[in-house]
Amino acid sequence: MDVSQYLEIFIDESNEHLQNLNTQILNLESDPENMDTINEIFRAAHSLKGMAGTMGYKRMQTLTHDMENVFSEVRNGHIKVSPDMVDILFQCLDALDEYVNNIKESADEGTNDNEPLIQQLNSVLNGKGETQESAAPAAQAKAEPQEADGDGRKWLEIRLDSSQSNVLRAAKEQGKKVYGLTITVQESCILKAARAFLVFKAIEEKAEIIVSSPSAQDVEDEKFDLDFSLIVVSDASLEEVKHAASNVSEIASVLGAEIDLDKMGPRDKYEEKGHEPEQESPAVSAVSAAAPVAPAAAEPAVKPAAEPKAAEKKQTPGKPVVNRTVRVDIEKLDVLMNLVSELIIAKNSLVSASNQVQGQSQGVNEQIEYLENVTTNLHESVMKVRMVPIESVVSKFPRMIRDLSKKLDKKMELYMTGEETELDRTVVDEIGDPLMHLLRNSADHGLESAEIRAQRGKPEVGSIFLDAYQDGNNVVIEVRDDGNGIDVEQVKAKALERGTITPEQAANMSDKEVIDLLFLPSFSTAKKVTDVSGRGVGLDVVKSKIEALSGEVEVKSKLGEGSTWTIRLPLTLAIIQALMVVVGGEKYAISLGSIQTIEDIAPEDIKLVQNKEVIHLRGSVIPLIRLANVLDVESTRSSEEHLVVVIVKKGDRLAGLVIDDMIGQQEIVIKSLGKYIKQCRFISGATILGDGEVALILDANALI
Amino acid sequence: MEELKVIENSDTTVQYIVVRLGEEQYGIDIRYIDNIVRMQKITRVPKVAPYLKGVINLRGEVIPIMSLRLKMFLPEDEITKATRIIILKLEQYGSVGIIVDEVKEVVTLDAEHIEKIAYDSKDDRNNFLSGIGKYEGGLISLLDFNLVMLDRDGAV
Repeated sequence: MDVSQYLEIFIDESNEHLQNLNTQILNLESDPENMDTINEIFRAAHSLKGMAGTMGYKRMQTLTHDMENVFSEVRNGHIKVSPDMVDILFQCLDALDEYVNNIKESADEGTNDNEPLIQQLNSVLNGKGETQESAAPAAQAKAEPQEADGDGRKWLEIRLDSSQSNVLRAAKEQGKKVYGLTITVQESCILKAARAFLVFKAIEEKAEIIVSSPSAQDVEDEKFDLDFSLIVVSDASLEEVKHAASNVSEIASVLGAEIDLDKMGPRDKYEEKGHEPEQESPAVSAVSAAAPVAPAAAEPAVKPAAEPKAAEKKQTPGKPVVNRTVRVDIEKLDVLMNLVSELIIAKNSLVSASNQVQGQSQGVNEQIEYLENVTTNLHESVMKVRMVPIESVVSKFPRMIRDLSKKLDKKMELYMTGEETELDRTVVDEIGDPLMHLLRNSADHGLESAEIRAQRGKPEVGSIFLDAYQDGNNVVIEVRDDGNGIDVEQVKAKALERGTITPEQAANMSDKEVIDLLFLPSFSTAKKVTDVSGRGVGLDVVKSKIEALSGEVEVKSKLGEGSTWTIRLPLTLAIIQALMVVVGGEKYAISLGSIQTIEDIAPEDIKLVQNKEVIHLRGSVIPLIRLANVLDVESTRSSEEHLVVVIVKKGDRLAGLVIDDMIGQQEIVIKSLGKYIKQCRFISGATILGDGEVALILDANALI
Repeated sequence: MEELKVIENSDTTVQYIVVRLGEEQYGIDIRYIDNIVRMQKITRVPKVAPYLKGVINLRGEVIPIMSLRLKMFLPEDEITKATRIIILKLEQYGSVGIIVDEVKEVVTLDAEHIEKIAYDSKDDRNNFLSGIGKYEGGLISLLDFNLVMLDRDGAV
């Protein structure tokens, strides 16, 4: 059986379900009676089981099956949720996670049967004197009443063309039997096409499929609602064929009957003649064999089939909403993005070319402006496609904090805001680990033990906050705790002990410099090494990872009150709005996102503070950075002239960049300088201007 | 049969593009060469080694440009009409352009016409060569780009 084409979807969806389970079980722990939560858990576990079954992962299926049994009993009120049970369930989720990881790496689930877990699950079940039998007969029973229900027999609506009916007649003459089948997949089924594929396979072993509605291709493309109908010819009995189909898991019902060809024939003819006047009647609202089931015809048939089932499963209204999304390989988006980049470069060339032509017609300018509008919008849309909420990463943290809380024996609570903040997909994929390190760090080093908290008059339960928000062209993620804060003296002592700094250095270091020591490799101040943190891997990894994403990490801390770790990430990676400036005859781009204002400063307004040039601007003192000096060029302005100063900000810090001239605002495509040039800190890349020239991009954040 | 011969040949012979740098002739293995373009405006990149002249735009790609002369401790390039930029595609470093005084011809050298050079640690320029080719009486210094690209400024 070839299911490899579904592997990727399987992994993605399994992870989604696992995440969902984690979240819901956490909810369950705090609110054990919530029926909605229990139902949601049951559904997720059930889908997971079905998917694992389809893909042939037996161990995973067994484990989820046993979990499902437990949830089923909880739902029926036979078992009460206990903390022990939640612990076991979490362990199960970890085991499932391991299966999925194994599958991801080797397409094989591994050999761990997780026997102890299964036994624990069973003892939870048996402990209440309930057997797991109850769920099974119920599932079997539900197919029966539908058998009699005429509405479900949708194969009757299949219209045969002449060649098909000839095939059927010929088969009949050979003594074969013709059956009509309608297979309904369960509502909760995720991989409908995969199910259908398996049903087709199973039936093909017993019979020959003559007609399918919707067509086999549509079924494979998942272009069907919940059911599909087949007309097959076979030597086998109806029961055998039905059995083959219903053996596939997540199939809600298989209806079937032998077809009397003589009855079908006239019906068709009648319908062809009376096509228009009779269209409203459900009995003859037949659909052509090739087209997918028309909504009008499908609805009355599906509802009766779905409703009794829903009632039986006691499903609350939260039915899975039909997903209006398409999964796209990120590489395809990269290609799209590159094309948009090229389009923008071409547009910029056109703009600069049109500026050189004198006395051109008004029309050309208008069209170019229009083109600019379109390319800008196109770029924004493509960027948006690549954006995903950080929720997918941060939603696993509440569970992690819960586990840490137990492991470290500290009471703590995680408060998250801004989970909906969006970032480029590639960035989101990478920030999980750094954030996890920071949270662990807060939980382990930050928060004090209960006794100390009591002494300090803090609430017993420590708080950790994770806040995400957008700030200009950046996304800021803050990890905050109300714990001990960083003990600067302790860090210093540790650094001295390790020989990282000399005593003289230590005496002269500012608190901020000391705190920055924490980001050095193999530096940990935890007095004892735990398996949570303290092995000296962590903060340096956080820093390097964030910097690899062209972001930054900062920390502010107040001893006894807590620390705040701030991660600042660029919103976009490829195309930005920039201010083009001239320094010493060379063109540079500065990201518009970091620019606050542009000022005209008289030379006599420059003051010296600690031998550094500063200006006073609306009540704040701003250090000046002369870009000509930084970039090793001669400024083309004489020292008596007024200065053009671009005020840039990074968080709450400001700096004034002295430039020679401004060209204007432009949308630029960020390009790398190539692997061979180890670019300096404050050059974040290059861009190609309209005239084909290359201009470098200044990273204002690195200059401050 | 034609094809077979070519494959056989490629085992023992290598094609080189012969370039002029000052008075000397250098050979560059043609397999590394992506493109040869005329001299154009190079955008300076601050705070990099002096032999890195900057970057150019080659059909939408930004490519770093190196002065082969400065890298090999020869006097600064004199830009003439014959000056060319050879764009190399190297596995380790991606695309890199090198400035040469003139591109002369393509030669095919047999293994037996290539002499390994005795390594002399005092003469830095020899450190960039994989061998010396003899061709129609003249000598061609064959560049080894693994050595040329190496950033050895710290060591020198």
